[in-house]
Amino acid sequence: MATDSSLPSDLTPERPSSQPHEASVIDASLRTPLTVLISSALIWLLAASVLGIIAAWKLHTPGFLDTCEFMTYGRIQPAQSNAFIYGWGFNAAFAVSLWLMARLSRGMLPGSGVLLLGAAFWNVGVTLGVGGIILGFSTSIEWLEMPGFAAPLLLVAYALIGAWSLVVYRSGRSSEIYASQWYLFAALFAFPWIYSVAQVLLVFAPVRGTVQSIVHVWFTSNLFLLWFASVALAAVYYFLPKLLLKPVSNYYLASLAFWWLVVFGSWAGLSRLLGGPVPAWVQTVGAAASFMMIVPLVVIGMNVFGTLSGHWSALKGSLTLRFIVFGAVAFALWLLALIAGATQGFASLTQFTYFTAAEGQLGLYGFFSMVVFGALYYIVPRVLNSDWASVPLAGVHFVASALGVILLVGSLALGGLTQGALLADAKVPFAGITQASLPYLFSANVGLLVLAIGQIAFALNFFWTLARASAPSVRSVKVLLAAQPEVSR
Amino acid sequence: MKPAPFLFLGIFCALSFSFVGLVLTNQLTYGAFTTHVDEDEGKAFPQPLPGLAAQGKLVYQDLGCVACHTQQVRREGFGADFGERGRGWGERQSVARDYLRDERVLLGSQRVGPDLRNFAARKNADGTEHNAEWLFKYLYAPTSVVRESNMPRYAFLFKTQPIIGQGSSKALKLSGALAPAAGYEVVPTSRGEALVAYLLSLKDTYAYPETKNIYTAPAPKAGAKQEGHK
Ligand code: HEC
Repeated sequence: MATDSSLPSDLTPERPSSQPHEASVIDASLRTPLTVLISSALIWLLAASVLGIIAAWKLHTPGFLDTCEFMTYGRIQPAQSNAFIYGWGFNAAFAVSLWLMARLSRGMLPGSGVLLLGAAFWNVGVTLGVGGIILGFSTSIEWLEMPGFAAPLLLVAYALIGAWSLVVYRSGRSSEIYASQWYLFAALFAFPWIYSVAQVLLVFAPVRGTVQSIVHVWFTSNLFLLWFASVALAAVYYFLPKLLLKPVSNYYLASLAFWWLVVFGSWAGLSRLLGGPVPAWVQTVGAAASFMMIVPLVVIGMNVFGTLSGHWSALKGSLTLRFIVFGAVAFALWLLALIAGATQGFASLTQFTYFTAAEGQLGLYGFFSMVVFGALYYIVPRVLNSDWASVPLAGVHFVASALGVILLVGSLALGGLTQGALLADAKVPFAGITQASLPYLFSANVGLLVLAIGQIAFALNFFWTLARASAPSVRSVKVLLAAQPEVSR
Repeated sequence: MKPAPFLFLGIFCALSFSFVGLVLTNQLTYGAFTTHVDEDEGKAFPQPLPGLAAQGKLVYQDLGCVACHTQQVRREGFGADFGERGRGWGERQSVARDYLRDERVLLGSQRVGPDLRNFAARKNADGTEHNAEWLFKYLYAPTSVVRESNMPRYAFLFKTQPIIGQGSSKALKLSGALAPAAGYEVVPTSRGEALVAYLLSLKDTYAYPETKNIYTAPAPKAGAKQEGHK
């Protein structure tokens, strides 16, 4: 686009550096912590998959594993979502955001001891939390089911990990702040805030009545938008221009989308309470805020698809790009569903049905996880200084993930619409609704299995690459610093 | 392009905006909600949960029933929860005041099973009242009560014990394949009893002034409003 070339050069994610090996030094400094974070993330991802398949199986075959209290649906399902969110999601987001921040600020990690301690605390916290749910200490608050004793541990761990993004930023040489960094800062800052508010006001000193529900949707919707979506958008804004070798088109609008998301997005989740026992103004404001998400939808769409237009063939050559574009499309659909859900008609049809589960999967898997997978395909070889062990496994991962998401989200969405339509028709007995949703639940289950195939391929590939790369490379920090002391500043 | 301090300040303000607007304002305006004292009945509504039911609520929480059951009846015209062409899940819509005494509000987000907010006030399919006997049997083996039921079994809330003397008055009346071996009976554990007490306490039948009309939130008090915007 003509306007792009006339804009200043800071539109590319990284400024060219005078030190030829700067990027390698940064990557090498992140090697150990990223290995730990990504490995834990993958283990949690697989664990969540196993739990998810068990839970999904129970939905259509209630007799499956039903003799044991620890395997009851009401415990396995929250164990799955918490393992996925706090185990896979957070570990992966930590890894990607740390790397992005280091590269964009051109700062290296001064040491990794505290960070590793934080990662250990985090994973112990999640293990205790998920174990606590299975043993019966669930709080029964969606996405916050982990018992109260896990929360302080997670917050301390978060401080130990999150602080390093700031350290890296401060130690960096680049004073520019690129769009990705806005999102990373927002995420960094938002999580401890919303999480501690939610823990205090819901678990430790519960507020009165349905104020709890308001605090709860405020937490869950911000956890998605300001943490997961922010980290993923940071990666999208970084990798698109980088891989296409051109600046983001209409970049000047990106800050509008960012502020719009941060200011109004944090109210949008309230539309989930439409029709519920909360003050009418809360519902109206929530619906209005959801409608306003049309602005970031349009702007991010212009940024992403504007940059891509004319370059679609690049998708063939880059796996990272394919994952990221899939994720961007999923995010657009997610925003559309949010906007539609703010209308009375659509909300009353889809509320409390599998459609909301489809929305959740679309956001967390179709968008966040896919973008993170894409980012990791770029990051891992650089940090480990070794190519991916297997190209076919990576291909399997993409195909299985894309198919799995489409199958899972598609069946849950269609099943949810069917379920919603039948629920609204009181002449249909309840058992009839259950019967009608069974085929959709089955195909959603197949979707989960397909996703699991992709995850296994990815995990195999990662650990294989790690094993091959285990001999420390010549490009280790020490060697490089000896050659170029000025890099460390 | 954007100095970091301004960025931080902006993010901080944006989050404060929604925190104050949603969390604090509501916390303050809900101050206007009190229990409703009914002079005729001499009671304050909503009433607190009796002890056993309160324990049962903890069982409901730890078993995660909320994963499949909501506890909120939506207004007429919003879905078909109640009303002329509704499922009869309640006699009226749930309002904020119903939950005032709930230590933990379990609105729920999935209706894999029916809404339970007003379960105890509803009738069975055959017109009988829900009672403990029905519920015990239902939790022990849902399909023995509702043939096509997709509700999971909670048999682990029961124990099989040898019959001593007359046998327990709480023993389940089971027949066919479900019946225990001769000389044995199936009785609920204490958690099972508590859970059933909780389910039988789920009754939102009291008509508050605001439920007689279409529900609107009470206007915030002047004082509360000022503080909310600070
Ligand atoms: C896997 C989802 C699931 C879970 C978990 C679940 N239920 Fe259900 N429940 C259902 C379904 C489906 C029905 C409707 C089937 C039927 O009519 O028998 C139902 C029906 C019921 C009913 C009868 C409602 C009526 O109006 O007839 C009660 C009571 C009930 N469940 C209580 C519970 C309790 C208590 C728990 C937790 C210990 C629980 N449920 C957990 C799915 C679930």
